[in-house]
Amino acid sequence: MLEFIDLARRYGDVVALDGVSFSVGPGEMRGFVGRNGAGKTTAMRIALGLVAPDRGEVRWKGSPVSDDARRRIGYMPEERGLYPKMRVLDQLAYFGTLSGMASDDARTAARNWTERLGVGGRAGDRLEELSLGNQQRVQLAAALVHAPDVLVLDEPFSGLDPVGVDVLAEALRAEVDRGVALVFSSHQLELVESLCDAVTIIDQGKVVASGGIDELRARHARRSLRVELEGGRTDWADRLPGVASARMDGDGVVLALEAGADTDVVLDAARGAGRVRVFAPVVPRLAELFREVVQP
Amino acid sequence: MTPLEAIRLVVRRELVERIRQKSLLVSTALTLAIVVAIGVIPGVVGDDGPTTYDVGLVGDRGATTELADALERVEFGDDVSVGTRTVDDRDQAERLVAAGDLDAAIDGDRVIVEEDLGDELGAVLQLAHRSVLTREALDAAGASAQEAAAITDPAPLRTEAIDPPDAEKDDRSNLVNIGVFIVFSQIFGFGFAVASGVVEEKSSRVVEVVLAKVRPAHLLAGKIIGIGLLGFAQLLLFLAVGLGAAIAAGSVDLPPGIVGATALVLAWYVVGFALYSCLFAMAGAVASRVEELQNTSMPIQVVVMAGYFAAIFASGEPEGTVARVASFLPTFAPMVMPIRMVAGGAAWWEIVLSVVLVLVTLVIIVRLAARVYSGGALRTRGKISLRHAYAGTD
Repeated sequence: MLEFIDLARRYGDVVALDGVSFSVGPGEMRGFVGRNGAGKTTAMRIALGLVAPDRGEVRWKGSPVSDDARRRIGYMPEERGLYPKMRVLDQLAYFGTLSGMASDDARTAARNWTERLGVGGRAGDRLEELSLGNQQRVQLAAALVHAPDVLVLDEPFSGLDPVGVDVLAEALRAEVDRGVALVFSSHQLELVESLCDAVTIIDQGKVVASGGIDELRARHARRSLRVELEGGRTDWADRLPGVASARMDGDGVVLALEAGADTDVVLDAARGAGRVRVFAPVVPRLAELFREVVQP
Repeated sequence: MTPLEAIRLVVRRELVERIRQKSLLVSTALTLAIVVAIGVIPGVVGDDGPTTYDVGLVGDRGATTELADALERVEFGDDVSVGTRTVDDRDQAERLVAAGDLDAAIDGDRVIVEEDLGDELGAVLQLAHRSVLTREALDAAGASAQEAAAITDPAPLRTEAIDPPDAEKDDRSNLVNIGVFIVFSQIFGFGFAVASGVVEEKSSRVVEVVLAKVRPAHLLAGKIIGIGLLGFAQLLLFLAVGLGAAIAAGSVDLPPGIVGATALVLAWYVVGFALYSCLFAMAGAVASRVEELQNTSMPIQVVVMAGYFAAIFASGEPEGTVARVASFLPTFAPMVMPIRMVAGGAAWWEIVLSVVLVLVTLVIIVRLAARVYSGGALRTRGKISLRHAYAGTD
């Protein structure tokens, strides 16, 4: 279990983190979302020992992260960086040995990962000769080469084309199934929603929502209904009791219900207006949840 | 993983990646060519041994014997000798002179040359000519052969030098001068390579990946040791090839103390490089792009240059005030002290004091560099003030 405990960090007058706590366990994939500047990168850098927290700490298996434990974390920084003139395979093997692997094992693992991530043919090339997308695959391989128990990835999907996203998602899913604890930050909320078991949302240095995605949906989002009438009438839903807001959605309307609203009242009103074709609960998207908990 | 293992991995990467670069091979080859040229050229061009002039004497053997003897007797330094041959007549003399077979030919009271008679040969011929005429005159006046010889060929003046040159010492200090120049170039070149290596890792952002696995002080140590080893190996190569070429070409007679002097230069290089590479690393740590490096490293470049000029000055005047003072300044000592030591003027306590001062400074600088590097390595945007890098604040 990788635990972020009460992390606080200021940069001059700017508060980057203000008591952030969450954790990610083995076999769990946790999305870490928040607006730009919310403090995601700072929290991840603290976990890797790159930034010292003003308060709080990061623990791995119950104790503060030691140098040896830190070497074993697979890390992908927000700002991508590798040696431009170094050959891909040499480079990955080097990072493997820095994580404590024997030289031969590191080369084997490096070759495996380049093939698995679709850059096997470029293993002997200098990094700078690769396209940006392929460089990003190599960057991911650098985080994975030593078969880490923990992965901390800062915006791993940004800059990838849809095929790249699929390749990466598949690789990460396999790692998590292997028992890796994975936390990654992202602005692509649909992706987080489809991939992750759990999510932590931070805003202005504080955690504003954290937990399993289904659980969060149930807890935070207002219940909504999607109603569609034949003929496409939508004006009937205005000012119904128990409905907080109504908005057009294609041929129908989506009604956000107030707590304790009676759905029968809504159904009666709909039937009064015409033949009901669709009457269904709407599961809120992560994006809606996000907008709800994050200050505009 | 122990710190040593981490440092070893970094050293290995620095060595392997740098050796693979074509630029290193090209610059090494070029420098080697220059070193060989410096070693060989004096032997080939400079001092080409004793000069022998070929002079023709027109007339039959009997008539020219005296002049030939006189020419052989003339003392004009160890490096000049004259060979004579008899030439039948003036026409043949002119032909041989024109063809370059003879440097000059004497026909009675004339000297035949192609263009002009050099000062050296001219003086020799005039002396011999005067000696022959004087002897004839003395003969005619009835002087004995001994009396005539005493007048025409008196014992030459002998030289007594108050401060005779020590050829061995000169050779040794010439070699040390070349050595100090090479040391200066190595410190400058490879020290700057440390600075640019630091900045390249920052500007490519790879430093964040590496520092997630290796402590900053260990990464820096590995980088400095790796680049330093390369510089040291290159220095050894230059010295070995340079000396080898010089010996082969006969440019210098290697003095007995040469092994000691070379070891001395190498030892001071190690200390000097350690000191300057730490300073250069700090210059790299506070820059975030290669373009900024010229600015941030300027003070260090000035100090290295000043050290080198002090060394040049010291080689001319090893016991002058400049040399003595500079040999105790830790940033200058690695280039100046070897010169004083080879010149033989440095007292043992001066050497010990100088070494102690440099080592103490080195310990301080290493700690300072590790701290500034830790504070600056992850700041990849904009120039960082040294104070902020040291304090690790923003």
